[in-house]
Amino acid sequence: MKVILIGFGIIGKGVINVIRKKREYLKNKYGMDLKVVAICDRSGAAIDDNGLDLELALKVKEETGKISKYPEKGTSMPIVEVVKSIEADAIIEATPTNIESGEPAKTYIIEGFKSGKHVITANKGPLALYFNELLSYAKKHNRIFRYEASVGGAMPIINLAKETLAGNEIIKIKGILNGTTNYILTKMEREKLDFDTVLKEAQELGIAETNPHQDISGLDTAAKIVILANSIMNMEVTIKDVNIEGITKITPEALSMANKGGYTIKLIGEVSENKLEVGPKLIPLDDPLNVKGSLNVAMLNTDLAKEVIVVGRGAGDVETSSAILSDIINIYLKNK
Amino acid sequence: MIILDLELKDTPGELIKALTPISKMGINIHSVIHLREKKVDGRIPVRLVVGDLEDKILNEMINKLEKLDVTITKVNTSIRKRDIDLVVIGHVVDTDIRDTIDRLNKYGLVIDLDLSMPDPFKESSARMKIIVDSEKLNDLYNELDKLSKEKNLLFIKSF
Ligand SMILES: NC(=O)c1ccc[n+]([C@@H]2O[C@H](COP(=O)([O-])OP(=O)(O)OC[C@H]3O[C@@H](n4cnc5c(N)ncnc54)[C@H](OP(=O)(O)O)[C@@H]3O)[C@@H](O)[C@H]2O)c1
Repeated sequence: MKVILIGFGIIGKGVINVIRKKREYLKNKYGMDLKVVAICDRSGAAIDDNGLDLELALKVKEETGKISKYPEKGTSMPIVEVVKSIEADAIIEATPTNIESGEPAKTYIIEGFKSGKHVITANKGPLALYFNELLSYAKKHNRIFRYEASVGGAMPIINLAKETLAGNEIIKIKGILNGTTNYILTKMEREKLDFDTVLKEAQELGIAETNPHQDISGLDTAAKIVILANSIMNMEVTIKDVNIEGITKITPEALSMANKGGYTIKLIGEVSENKLEVGPKLIPLDDPLNVKGSLNVAMLNTDLAKEVIVVGRGAGDVETSSAILSDIINIYLKNK
Repeated sequence: MIILDLELKDTPGELIKALTPISKMGINIHSVIHLREKKVDGRIPVRLVVGDLEDKILNEMINKLEKLDVTITKVNTSIRKRDIDLVVIGHVVDTDIRDTIDRLNKYGLVIDLDLSMPDPFKESSARMKIIVDSEKLNDLYNELDKLSKEKNLLFIKSF
């Protein structure tokens, strides 16, 4: 199987490392010979139809910051051209999330389908904004579209709901879908520190981004809720339909108050037939949704299996890449 | 809680016949009040108190009872109560806490109020428990939304 990787940042490098690590495993277990035929970043691409030397690609990126500096096979060819012209079974899209336009990822995904490639993405932007449009391209070109890593990172949820729980009607999903806010609230609760102090510390530790707006405002969770609503519950909603409240007003006193009543406060995203909401909620201290640190958790209410709960890591290079690898394997097995 | 008034045929074993399918459905029976003295038209009125049920299950139970020739004269689900816990953040006291409570009491009953004011100039927080009839829950939520906008308060609700 041949893949093109677009985006060579935290996740892109994570994917390459996971592929390196699992090369033998994939061969032995699935008979799969996985070749990365192109890697793209903002500088251009490295292209090799026989499969790139992944170690070398990482080294070049590390040393120069530019994959186009890959010896002999580096090029400044625009990413769209790479997607269109290079032969491959699938593209793995891992460029930054853009919650306003979904670009440039949206274009890469569409061009991927148009040129007959399956698409795997970790990117919430295009999914939250244009899910149905993207899906229609996949259908039209009879290609597979997978995006497990986009919600909950390594925590299985999309494929869990669509495949493992097949036959169940999913009535409601609620949970903590943003690790940064969970980290902040957990720390505020434990150490009785105010929001700004904990945020600053989280930024210094690299847990929160330099621009944490999307996380703390609830927008990131809202995008994920929209993805779940559209992909699992067959709704047709956008971020504008979500009632959003973030965590910036939460105080350590409020957390103590909640504790006194047997609760904690978590930023919860919730989707059901008549509810699309993100906001801080009181969660009983002994509730399975009360997970600590930067963990993610989701509870699915289904008609047959009733409640199903998953907990996992919502971020991290190798962790998130595990979800991408599962999508790669799934596509491979379906086309074997 | 849900209260059902039933009328059973006046023959031995009727009560057991009526209760068996209910308990088989896993429904919690809190009490059975046998009102033999009020016998009407040869039927015995019985008051049954069960735990809260989803409408679907309640209907299923009623159907089962009717198939057993049990007459259901009254289903009183309106006294189904729910507890809501809230943490409120904002200028809880300065925005007329009495008025806030009065307005919530139109739909439910605020019990258990706990206030924390770390600093008179800073935002404070409060915790309250509200008991509300299930059917008034949406009205209560709407009032919370209104209060939240008017008084710039953040209400953090339990599920
Ligand atoms: N980090 C996580 O834990 C995590 C978890 C779940 C999902 N995700 C999602 O995964 C995606 C990638 O995240 P990341 O953390 O790997 O981001 P990142 O470290 O910022 O890497 C982004 C990569 O995309 C490239 N890029 C940036 N702008 C581009 C553009 N306009 N056109 C083409 N390529 C562009 C960058 O190129 P240069 O290298 O040349 O700068 C870089 O290689 C995001 O959508 C994110 O939401 C991340």
